[in-house]
Amino acid sequence: MNARETAWRVFATELNSTTLEIKAAEEKAPSYIVTPLGAKINRVLIAGVMTEKENIGSEEEPMWKARIQDVSGSFYINVGKFQPEASAAIADIEIPSFVAAVGRVRTYTTDDQRVFVSVRPEHIIPISETVRNEWILETAKSTWKRLTDTKKVLGMGDATEQDLVKAGMSPTEAFGITYALDNYGQMPDSALYLKTIQAALRMLLPDRDVDLGFPEDLSDEPDEIELPEGSNANNSAQMEDLILNLLEELDTDGKGAPREELERRAESEGISSIELEEVTNILMDKGLVYEPNLRYLKRI
Amino acid sequence: MEIEELTPHIEEIQRVLGDKIDEEQLRAELDKYLNEYHVNIDAAKRSIIRKYGGSDTSTFVTGNSLVKKIADLSGTEQNVDITAKVVFVDNKEITVKGLPKKIISGIIGDETGTVSFTVWEPGSMVLTKGSVYVFRNCYCKLWNDKAQVHIGNRGKVEAAEGVKIELPERQITAASPTEIKIGNIKDGMGSVTVTGKVMSIESKEIVARGEPKTVFSGIIADDTGKIQFSAWSDFGIKEGESLCIANAYIRSWKGIPQLNMGDRCEISRVDAIDNVVDTSENRKTVDEISRIGGGLDITLEGLIVDVRQGSGIIRRCPQCNRSMLNGACTTHGMVEGIMDLRLKVVIDDGTGAIGAIINRADTEKLTGVTLQAAQGLAAVKGEAVVGREITSKALMKRVRVTGNVMSDDYGPSIIVKSIEKVEFDLEAEASKLLDEVEAAI
Repeated sequence: MNARETAWRVFATELNSTTLEIKAAEEKAPSYIVTPLGAKINRVLIAGVMTEKENIGSEEEPMWKARIQDVSGSFYINVGKFQPEASAAIADIEIPSFVAAVGRVRTYTTDDQRVFVSVRPEHIIPISETVRNEWILETAKSTWKRLTDTKKVLGMGDATEQDLVKAGMSPTEAFGITYALDNYGQMPDSALYLKTIQAALRMLLPDRDVDLGFPEDLSDEPDEIELPEGSNANNSAQMEDLILNLLEELDTDGKGAPREELERRAESEGISSIELEEVTNILMDKGLVYEPNLRYLKRI
Repeated sequence: MEIEELTPHIEEIQRVLGDKIDEEQLRAELDKYLNEYHVNIDAAKRSIIRKYGGSDTSTFVTGNSLVKKIADLSGTEQNVDITAKVVFVDNKEITVKGLPKKIISGIIGDETGTVSFTVWEPGSMVLTKGSVYVFRNCYCKLWNDKAQVHIGNRGKVEAAEGVKIELPERQITAASPTEIKIGNIKDGMGSVTVTGKVMSIESKEIVARGEPKTVFSGIIADDTGKIQFSAWSDFGIKEGESLCIANAYIRSWKGIPQLNMGDRCEISRVDAIDNVVDTSENRKTVDEISRIGGGLDITLEGLIVDVRQGSGIIRRCPQCNRSMLNGACTTHGMVEGIMDLRLKVVIDDGTGAIGAIINRADTEKLTGVTLQAAQGLAAVKGEAVVGREITSKALMKRVRVTGNVMSDDYGPSIIVKSIEKVEFDLEAEASKLLDEVEAAI
């Protein structure tokens, strides 16, 4: 099955305390991170206030870094040339403003083995405060569910994944929680997540004196992370994105992109004709492109 | 293939062609087909015989045919004789390459089982249901993992006078039917027993296997879900009744499971069931939908997280209404398309993602961009701009959609029948969560 990955609703605290990664075993399989609360994430849906943005690339080839702050911390955003839609959108977004973003997570490990998680949005758009608040509620609910599920599993002793599925969890949830408990080597810091939920509820219910008994300080997070774009610019997923974009660009008359032109442009992006062949085959297998005739390639 | 191995085939071809070709030439020819062009041996022999003017293909039955029982058919037999009784037969007219063609098809059976068959060149042949025949020189193919018997132009069907065949009782699937809640019915289940209330029923006259038949179909529901059913005989079902339906079987259409009541099905009236799902709304999470595979009139709620290619202004074929590619319909070629507006989006509810196709009226309702406005915009700025415009209007919208769901390799998708923006009482919902959290810690 090639089903699309779920966009998880997670707060920055949970995402940023993640250190576990499940790297794809095969070339085209997705990679995941597993949060301390057992969310097995490839893609996230986040929302908050964009507080900073900076183009660290060039005018022609922008490379945006940004921060989006939710109730408890900040998401680190990277948008490069492989996210053209988000790249165009972010250029027009004013600081500060409410935004939502959907994208894949990336991890970055420093020399001293600290892991940072960033998000590469496919889409990033301005939203209203109401939509942001709806996201906070939804995310608080799902964080609370993961927290209670984790507690439940801890109380079940040596429950296996199958036991958890029988107890009503989805296979993904059962796997994630088991994997997190087995591999973090410690209990999740429930105080951290409860504090986050408290902050969320305070935001949503300013008139109710929300107090779950946690002090306000929660700055356990990194100040800044630098993610080297381009260090592995030629990995397959990026090449795919690039080719798809080229196809769109070169398809001037609806007939598709002429092969020769595509090859020339790919070459100038550092993709050899052999690599291009491989990538287009993958894309055809995925059903994303087809050949209207032998000299053209077209996006579906 | 090694040259020595060719000898029997060469002899065989020579038998057909006689002195139309000398052996050396034939050997070279066959070698070319097999080793240069990697054509399989049967095709190679056929081509050579045609090329050198060999005539009757009936002389080309290789070796002696096998005699097999139906249960022993593997589906790969090239030449097999079967003695069997006609269980069901239908004279059909089909269209081959634009020309009408008469064929006979049906089901034959022997003591070991049944198999479907087709006679491709029936001529004036008449097969009678219940009679026993010898089907000679048949070939078999596999379809849906089941063998099928074909009688082509070298096959023969002869009446088997005096042969009697007792067909076994219809095989009953080994596992006893599982009693199951309707909400848990999945694609690929076999026999099931369900208890539910008939929400609607209607009768339809259809032609099944050449005979007119009345089927009864409708919707049955319990407290977990609802499902479409088809009763293949008259069980006297009435709307509003509560029934226990034993030994029904599940067949899926495009991933949507349906409950079928065949002749093994037993129906009993039970005490009235009142707590059926609200059939006006069959709410599911995307995770639940992914596990079921599909269903009718499912409602789900989520955020539009992506807008796919093919959204915006499209053109539909005036004849078949399908969307066209590059000004051409895949079936009807170059036609003057009819402009339409639609959205292909991904809806994500946090438990999973599902593709959704939204028609023009609902696209207009959701984005506020009418087809007319879109056309106007397209005329000035191009259709790509229309796509971007409705994309930005659709993204991150929280919607509730209802429609039929089906699944393929890329996961589930829903054809949206109705859509509305979701608004909820944020404060009430947040208070509920607060109460829950406070109670738990």
